[in-house]
Amino acid sequence: MVEPLNRQRVLNFLDVFYSHDIEGALACCTDDVEFVANAPIDIMPHMGHRRGKAAMREMWSTIYARYSNMRYDLANIVTEGDTVAVNLRAFFRKRGNDRTVQFDIAVFYTFRGGRIAEIREIIDTFDLVQQVLERDVAADLAGTGPGKT
Amino acid sequence: MTEHSLWRFSRALHRAINERRFEDIEALIDDNVDWAVYGPIDMFPFLGARRGREAVIEVIRQIAENVRVHRFDRETIMLGVDSASSMLRYSLTALDSNKPISLRIAHFAQFRDGKLLSIRVLVDTFDLVEQALGRPINLPRLVSFA
Repeated sequence: MVEPLNRQRVLNFLDVFYSHDIEGALACCTDDVEFVANAPIDIMPHMGHRRGKAAMREMWSTIYARYSNMRYDLANIVTEGDTVAVNLRAFFRKRGNDRTVQFDIAVFYTFRGGRIAEIREIIDTFDLVQQVLERDVAADLAGTGPGKT
Repeated sequence: MTEHSLWRFSRALHRAINERRFEDIEALIDDNVDWAVYGPIDMFPFLGARRGREAVIEVIRQIAENVRVHRFDRETIMLGVDSASSMLRYSLTALDSNKPISLRIAHFAQFRDGKLLSIRVLVDTFDLVEQALGRPINLPRLVSFA
């Protein structure tokens, strides 16, 4: 049964990643690891589609540079064969003003040879963008934001 | 071999949304179901959290009044004994505007005695809002350390 092993591998990866250990996180991945996250990349250019460790290092370095403290609550984890899915609530504290961004995220990890070969994320991106920009985008769209009458 | 609860629930849900037939889905929802679809509830009142079968049936009625499902493709699916998780791509039509909407979602579901006990649904909501508006949302590019 590979499922318990992969489950533990994901838990280990999350602990390493959320402790800002970029090389430790990369060591859990295959050389050609692929990352796909839905995100408005014109607003968050560090997200989107990445392939390979160098691209992952660049993306994660950007995240670590922006957030001083990162933690997560694990709501759900499902394992079948080479795939592990997790539902997390993530908490990222901004270096600029110490405000914490919290968002829910689904992540599907696919393993190859005991390492993560693919990471696919789905995030409540509208909420995330509002928190990152500290802006009530829904109110802006409704015409009731600051400066609107 | 017994069919997994997810398949019965999925068929009944799509029948409820597209045909407004709710009798099958009612029988597949636990009395104390915990339901959450994360997203901007001010813009889409049928998103958000609900508790209990009656509230969930009501929100499924609201979804049925707002969208029609044309197609869905499961990109990833994982089945446990009483749990399931999928990543899917949906093709919908918004009924008020007749606009096509393409969505990627992920769900985590728990079942008990063949009935839905809890479900969490994650949606790419920024994309959803832009498609519903029919235009991009212009916001500043994030270049500094926010």
